[in-house]
Amino acid sequence: MNREKTYAIVGVGYTPQGRVPGRTSLSFHLEACANAIADAGLSQDDIDGLICYRHFPASSDENDLTSHLVAQHLGIEPAYLSQDAN
Amino acid sequence: MLDAGLCRNVLISYGHNALSSDSLLAMLMDFAGDDAVFGHFGATGGYALAARRAMHEFNTGPQTWKHIAVGQRAWANLNPHAVMHGMPMSFDDYLSSKYVVEPLRLPDNCLVNDGGRAVIVTTLERAQDLKHRPAVILGLGQHNPSVQVTQSGTLAGSTGARKACETALSMAGITRDDVDACEIYDCFTYTVEVTLQDYGFFGPGEGESWFSEGTIGPGGRMPVNTSGGQLSEAYYMGLTPLSEAAMQIMGRCGDRQLGPATNTAEPNIVLVSDNGGILQAHSCCVLGRI
Repeated sequence: MNREKTYAIVGVGYTPQGRVPGRTSLSFHLEACANAIADAGLSQDDIDGLICYRHFPASSDENDLTSHLVAQHLGIEPAYLSQDAN
Repeated sequence: MLDAGLCRNVLISYGHNALSSDSLLAMLMDFAGDDAVFGHFGATGGYALAARRAMHEFNTGPQTWKHIAVGQRAWANLNPHAVMHGMPMSFDDYLSSKYVVEPLRLPDNCLVNDGGRAVIVTTLERAQDLKHRPAVILGLGQHNPSVQVTQSGTLAGSTGARKACETALSMAGITRDDVDACEIYDCFTYTVEVTLQDYGFFGPGEGESWFSEGTIGPGGRMPVNTSGGQLSEAYYMGLTPLSEAAMQIMGRCGDRQLGPATNTAEPNIVLVSDNGGILQAHSCCVLGRI
């Protein structure tokens, strides 16, 4: 097995869940991302690819949630940004 | 992009204030056209159509789906983080619950919750220097027989799951008999049934028998959705099943850990699914220990 050409999940990020009022969707992305980075033992400078999952429409008082927005708020400049369509 | 050398560490993220914001209401209010005028709209409507077709074609129904809802709830009760932790469900509870869209009852539907989930993917080489045992991606497959739900001929299977799974198992160089557990995208109970059916665990109409006797729950011979899944843990699109598969393989699941703790097989090979639209798109991933 070529270990440079085999890939693995190495970190998982959780957030509070259920009814968690007063939070934006962006804030859940950021918390999950920060926790996943710490969980893997990486720092945010190590992240050079970001994929935001497909998503539902934004609430009436929020901007649409894009991978660009998440990257900007994480303070990272990934070489690859992507978002699935719903 | 890892393979192309463009990236070294890729973050995959989801977050949604689904329960506490007006986001989902806005989506429902946006539905228009003939379908909506005649009362057919939203995911539950589409999957109810599919489930009804399956009832007609191979005689499935609530007596099958109750095993999925109750089995996953039993897992959720071993997971303190699960939204439905501490809320046990019996077959009678399931069968006496209200319909959302017939034939789908409330516990046939996934949760609506606030929260987020993220995972990080890197090379196996780099994984050696990181904190956890890596959850290795052994195989991937996709198949997307995507058409308008009203034109679909695959609502009762076979969905994209069949080809996606064949591709993923072939890439991993394994067979279905090697699979120790499944983490299945479970927007609805019926989705779990038709996915496992298309994966070849049982034939059309054999689901009720296959699911009975606690097959998918703690202590079962094929554990499914061990966090509680989207029905009973939390909904994060495909990251609910994918993150749980990774955590099980890493061996970090506490009371719900596959292996001796739950009298189940060690999670050396876990089959993971995601599905989109009304059974219109499907991804299958084989994760494992090496």
